[in-house]
Amino acid sequence: MIDVAGIIAENILYIAMVTIGGMLISWSVHFVPVGGAPAAMAQATGIGTGTVQLAAGAGLTGLVTAGAVMAVSDSPLLVVASGGVGAMIMISVTMIVGTWVYVYGVGVPPASAKVDYDPITKDRQDIYVSQGTEGHGLPTVSYVSGVIGGALGGIGGSIIYFALMSTSTGLTQSNLVALASIFAVGIFFVNAVIPSYNIGGTIEGFHDPKFKKWPKAVLASFVATLMCAFVGIITIGGL
Amino acid sequence: MSAGGAGGEATGGIPQNKLIALGTLGGLAGAYGGHFLSVASPAFAFIGALGAICAIVWGGAAVRRVASYGLGTGVPSIGMMALGMGVVASMFGLAVGGIAGPIVAFITAAIIGLVIGVLANKVLGMGIPIMEQSMTEIAGAGALTIIGLSVAMTGTFMFDAVLETVVATGYIAVIFIAGGMAILHPFNANLGPDETQDRTLMTGVEKGAIAMVVAGIVATVADGASAVPTILIGVVIWYIAFSKYVKLVNRDAYKVLGTGLLPTEEELE
Repeated sequence: MIDVAGIIAENILYIAMVTIGGMLISWSVHFVPVGGAPAAMAQATGIGTGTVQLAAGAGLTGLVTAGAVMAVSDSPLLVVASGGVGAMIMISVTMIVGTWVYVYGVGVPPASAKVDYDPITKDRQDIYVSQGTEGHGLPTVSYVSGVIGGALGGIGGSIIYFALMSTSTGLTQSNLVALASIFAVGIFFVNAVIPSYNIGGTIEGFHDPKFKKWPKAVLASFVATLMCAFVGIITIGGL
Repeated sequence: MSAGGAGGEATGGIPQNKLIALGTLGGLAGAYGGHFLSVASPAFAFIGALGAICAIVWGGAAVRRVASYGLGTGVPSIGMMALGMGVVASMFGLAVGGIAGPIVAFITAAIIGLVIGVLANKVLGMGIPIMEQSMTEIAGAGALTIIGLSVAMTGTFMFDAVLETVVATGYIAVIFIAGGMAILHPFNANLGPDETQDRTLMTGVEKGAIAMVVAGIVATVADGASAVPTILIGVVIWYIAFSKYVKLVNRDAYKVLGTGLLPTEEELE
């Protein structure tokens, strides 16, 4: 039988890190402008797909870059920073290509229906919103918000990965990488779905009134990730 | 046969309790049957995938019930969450449980699911009355799907073999997506006012069979499991389920008309 209390006592710092990572992912989703199916038809502001797909796309890219850097460096800051930058690049590319499609393909100007003036550029928004829609495209504020969301999500994901990789274990390096990755992915998905239920599937960014609901999702993620962190650390630490 | 739809509970068809029994008992029986019979002959590894199909049908039915209330976001989210919770719980269960691995994994998944269900209603305020029960069911189904497909790939659920053949090679990602797809896709593809339970669940069987074939292909590189029976039985199940599904679509459709092929350019002129 494995010494559960011993493993937990030895790795309490990593359990805390995994939990913080999960809470960061949960918070990050509130920044990402997701429009869901309506946005795919240019009838709502944001990227035209679901929260989970976007968070997963950006977050997993962050995991890959964090994993790549971790192979050559032991510095936690470097690993976490590279995870954040990887996710930022991924979400930025998704948003800029999305914007090209909306502007040149669909033929709509990026406009927010939630605010009359873009909080960053101060550009007028309401007169550009087509009738019967909830805005369309990605106005500057949503874009900036999305990049922040990508950074937080990538940092959260790479903190989880780093913590799981640093847990004391008898596993070989390649098995540890595989197990830590799949745990990180599992925890990532759980924490990407919880906030998407909190915001009801769509959000424009940090200027959206729904953004104020984030403490609820972060609290829920805290509890959910703490459980997953115990389970994950005991698994890896016990082998 | 009554219709599911946004805003209310999906009803009709087989009662959920029977499906819970099918998924739990079938899933566990598949995992243990595949594990013990594979010792006699690796050909029996396919039983694990049959267990996974039972769990997938159960998971699909649970997704159907909870997503009928309207989650506020796409149905895929709940399937991905199922496998997210399932993968954490199943790796834990198999690693610490030994011979009781699948049961430990199943119970762990159910606990994680229950807590997330409670959080969804109490903290996020989703207000779906069956959220707690459904999340428990979905997490359990996700864990049993992962274990069932792992048994089909390796012929055992002993953690060393699973780690070596399924996790370290990255095939766990295939299980993650194929299993998640099989749980989320049935309701996602069939939802709407004319949704019927038998048609949705038949899609689940069909998707489960595809996951089974994929598991069979992976088994070609494993020593403990033989690939051919899994692939053949998977293809047969897929064919039967798909034909049945087409029949059910024809039954539920108002009218089915053949439009012929797309006209060629000359015909359009």
